[in-house]
Amino acid sequence: MIRVRLTAQLKDWTRGVSEVRFERAENLRTALKLLDEEFPNIGQRILDDQGRIRNHVNVFVNSSNARELDSEETRLTDGDVIYILPSIAGG
Amino acid sequence: MKSGIILLVGTKKGVFVYTSDGGRKRWKGSGPFLKGNEIYHAVYDGRNKEILASVNSGHWGPTIARSDDMGASWKHSETPPKFPKSSGISVERIWHITPGPEDEPGAVYAGVAPACLFRSEDGGKKWSVNEALLKHRTRKRWQPGAGGLCLHTVLLYKGKKKRMHIAISAVGTMFTEDGGKGWSFQNKNVLADFQPIKYPEFGQCVHKVAYNPSRPNTLYQQNHCGVYRSDDAGKNWIDIRNNLPSRFGFPIAVDANDPDRVYVAPLEGDFSRIPPKGRFAIWASDNRGKEWEKMDEGIPRESYFTVLREGMVSDGEDPCGVYFGTTTGRLYIGRNQGREWESISEGLPPILSLSVSTL
Repeated sequence: MIRVRLTAQLKDWTRGVSEVRFERAENLRTALKLLDEEFPNIGQRILDDQGRIRNHVNVFVNSSNARELDSEETRLTDGDVIYILPSIAGG
Repeated sequence: MKSGIILLVGTKKGVFVYTSDGGRKRWKGSGPFLKGNEIYHAVYDGRNKEILASVNSGHWGPTIARSDDMGASWKHSETPPKFPKSSGISVERIWHITPGPEDEPGAVYAGVAPACLFRSEDGGKKWSVNEALLKHRTRKRWQPGAGGLCLHTVLLYKGKKKRMHIAISAVGTMFTEDGGKGWSFQNKNVLADFQPIKYPEFGQCVHKVAYNPSRPNTLYQQNHCGVYRSDDAGKNWIDIRNNLPSRFGFPIAVDANDPDRVYVAPLEGDFSRIPPKGRFAIWASDNRGKEWEKMDEGIPRESYFTVLREGMVSDGEDPCGVYFGTTTGRLYIGRNQGREWESISEGLPPILSLSVSTL
């Protein structure tokens, strides 16, 4: 089971749902694709036109930022939790 | 007397909706809607009775939202403007929205950064890129202005659906007469003194182009390096700075009733981007830019205002009303062709854009 935790800032796309679960997903890109099927068009809020995580979005797999792993290709295993969060902005 | 006016104010923190009757003395405001997002442009599409807004989130990227209940609820585009993978680029911001012709109720255009044009056939739900512009022979040599490589102007022509002007900073004015299959530059006599060649084919920093649709061959342009008019639908441009205090500014608007009357908002220059002597004024010309008149009655003596390229519009009432919104969040109306200014609001977030329509 893969859990995806969603920030409230995405409520326009998630209908207010804060967590979804997928039976399995091979990697982060697959999980985000499943998420986009669940909540149409949310994928483009997280990934840019080239399929890369947007500059000011942070996607964590458990406690690690996906950028420090294999970004969108980060492999997932049963029990992983994905957090989709806005990067901190301001001072 | 028209039934009502809607004034849409795009700000750094959302969109505000103001309505009034044709007298335009009392305004009812609501918002901010799409809170927290930068609204580079919002327009009322009278064909579908919807507000369309370009929504630019610093985190979640750009999209276009539609409201059919005056802002109370919004629907995001199902397929927002998006570049194909093969382009290697991503839409950074959506700068401008222009509803299409009356007899094509689904047609809407959007200008984006990096500069390109998108078209929707279904009122803004799904968007597709203009391939000819994306693959233009000169594209690799296009340079951004300070605000980015943005397509900020789309001019359409009644009865001539395949004819269109667009303007890109800092590329210049472009023209199509085949519905966007091919684009040519129209920058003749427009100065680009920041370039080694001062009058290049393209590379001009056009800030805004405006026209009165009743006289489609007369175009006006506020440029980084001057104020211009074209009397031949963009083929040639004439410098009309004349007695203006500066060649520099961002917006330009044409009187909705009088195609000879044009409005600009001069700033000292690109080095400061503040009004001359710290006193903001709109300048108007009744004779297509031969002479300009300063109009500052009602504007504070100390007014270090900046009005951005989408920050000034005129309505279609009689007399024509002119509106400007500042980056300090002040919103003004000049009901009598801008001769006296009154405040509609003094406390909005920084204003990025205005549009005005008849309901």
